[in-house]
Amino acid sequence: MKILVLNCGSSSIKFEFFNMENEKVLSTGIVEKVGMKGSFLMLNKPNGDKVKFEGDVLDHKIGVEYILGVLSSEKHGVLKSLDEIQAVGHRVVHGGEDFSGSVYINDEVIEVLEKNVELAPLHNPANLKGIYALQALLPEVPQVAVFDTAFHQTMKPKAYMYGIPYSLYKKYKIRRYGFHGTSHRYVYKRACEILGFKNENKKIISCHLGNGASVAAIINGKSVDTSMGFTPVEGLIMGTRAGDLDIGALTYIMRKEEIGIETSSILINKFSGMLGITGVSSDMREIEEKAEEGHERAKLGLEMYAYRVKKYIGSYAAAMGGVDILIFTGGIGENAVELRTEICKGLAFIGLELDEEKNKVRGKEIIISKNTSKSKILIVPTNEELVIAQDTFEIIKQI
Amino acid sequence: MSEILTEKIEEFRLSEYATQRMKFSKVGVVGCGTTGQQITLMIASRGIEVVFLELNQKLIDEAFEEMGEALDQKINHWGLTKNDEKLILSRIKGTLLYKDFKDCDLVIDSILSKTREFSKDIRQGVFKNIEENVSKTAIIATNSTSSVITELSSELKHRERCVSLHFSTTAPDAQIVEVVKGLYSTEEVCENIRKFLKLINKIPVAVEESPGLLSVRLGVSLISEACDLLMEGVGTKEDIDFVMKKGLGMPLGPFEMADKIGLERVVRWMDDLYNEFGDRKYKPSPLIKKLVRAKHYGRKTCEGFYRYDDLGYKLKDQNQKVVCTQV
Repeated sequence: MKILVLNCGSSSIKFEFFNMENEKVLSTGIVEKVGMKGSFLMLNKPNGDKVKFEGDVLDHKIGVEYILGVLSSEKHGVLKSLDEIQAVGHRVVHGGEDFSGSVYINDEVIEVLEKNVELAPLHNPANLKGIYALQALLPEVPQVAVFDTAFHQTMKPKAYMYGIPYSLYKKYKIRRYGFHGTSHRYVYKRACEILGFKNENKKIISCHLGNGASVAAIINGKSVDTSMGFTPVEGLIMGTRAGDLDIGALTYIMRKEEIGIETSSILINKFSGMLGITGVSSDMREIEEKAEEGHERAKLGLEMYAYRVKKYIGSYAAAMGGVDILIFTGGIGENAVELRTEICKGLAFIGLELDEEKNKVRGKEIIISKNTSKSKILIVPTNEELVIAQDTFEIIKQI
Repeated sequence: MSEILTEKIEEFRLSEYATQRMKFSKVGVVGCGTTGQQITLMIASRGIEVVFLELNQKLIDEAFEEMGEALDQKINHWGLTKNDEKLILSRIKGTLLYKDFKDCDLVIDSILSKTREFSKDIRQGVFKNIEENVSKTAIIATNSTSSVITELSSELKHRERCVSLHFSTTAPDAQIVEVVKGLYSTEEVCENIRKFLKLINKIPVAVEESPGLLSVRLGVSLISEACDLLMEGVGTKEDIDFVMKKGLGMPLGPFEMADKIGLERVVRWMDDLYNEFGDRKYKPSPLIKKLVRAKHYGRKTCEGFYRYDDLGYKLKDQNQKVVCTQV
């Protein structure tokens, strides 16, 4: 079975085309600047060649049409006919409280997705556009939605509720949802496979450290807590997002700087995090370089970043009564050697001992704890697209 | 790095639907003074290219400089990132020639209006010049509140394409735009304008053709009445502003609002309304006229009803002398 995976953003459409017999990627690419001047489609061919298709892409529907056109073209395609696409899997950011797993998309599901637009006004509308485009272009092909939030729906109320009036939860569904669910789910399963563990009773802490970053606590394969909340701005310090912040400080800033709701949202989402602290960049590599040259705020930023992750690991170990596996994933988690060292320093008291030598790797699936370490530490590069393809495959098989 | 092959995307379409041209990918603005700059920035910051027309290169350079400053100020107040600024400015081009509007889907007239009669003739000329250089379906709009769109479009070949669009430049982040349909404007044109406004994240408010529309007519009346209260000694300007803000929940009091709009503009608007309606209530208050004669236009000259610093913030100590580097 061949499956197309789509990840629609507000002005981009990422796609990956899988052959599920061997889980091989046949083709990947991205349409950028949808609805804007200078739009294009970039295709990565299986042989490593890149092709750029330039021209107007008015909307998501047209973007998807061009993706199908390119994939089925004689010159650059991998399909003889569009009939070969047997299913489409969509990444959908917010499933709200309605979805605790991936679902086959029917009218009912779409109705619920429309209802949840309010919860993720930046992401869900684009995801829906992708779904509508496929419905129009390949009406016979089944579609599946895979949610960023679904994996965390197993959290208990004590973990997902905020300490605010309960009526606000009732009225607006204000609660913690968590994100990166697809990634946390993939890496914890993979880690168990690598270690030859069955999931049962294992206490796992998964650190997805990328441009956005979150930590998840997982017991028996179920998420029991995660650092992102109602929106992805809670929790860890990220590239440009503040992470945990005293709300009192924010209202004080708003008063002092005379800024409103929209601007303060930009402040905590785009000006904060590593960029805001270091004044250097939101890119961890640049910050590390500066820190090596002795840049004080770059050093401070790195210390704060690692400290925040460490605190979450500690609190999740406390929440679960220990930890058996600690996983690093995401661009930073997979590549930042020094940061991993810094994060793991002093965690021997909960059984986590990093092997400094083994840790000197980037972007590889590997165990990096000492042989004598009671609990294991691993790097597992994430692969959200594959999870979406696998989920789609499983769901389609059943219908 | 290996070379990237480039192809034309249209050749990979599956239907004719895909070849639709992007509407409103480029918009023209005539006149890039304070108002024109704000309109230009509103549109360019939503990913649309803008080409603005000015009388000479010096004015073009000044417009760019001032728009850069406006964006810098936004960056200083956390409303924008440096990268956003670069992107926005890269979408803006200045020109001296009407022919550069040729592939614009919409051209907005935003020239400075001296008085209504004076500006009518000039604006009609602007409309004609635009029409000669754009496609048959391009929409021509004016941002003027005092001009009547039916009158402006009457001399054109395709009068059905004209509408009046009034952007709220006093509060550029406000989402509303007043839209006036002229006698000739077709529903199709209005529909396209609604689509365009949606693209730039604005909510259209349909208004009947009437000088001053809603915002200007009501806004200047409030300012004018506030001036009367002040002259009659009923209250101080600080108290009047304070009461309107706290008591009626307005973000700015009438005098602060007047300073933000620019007092010379308030006078111009009121003169227009007075000429149109002949009602004494639209006579500009002598208080404002006095300030305008002294070139105390408000925030932009750092002095109006109140005194301001260079960034447009009200000075804590209102007795402090203003040092203004702005014009």
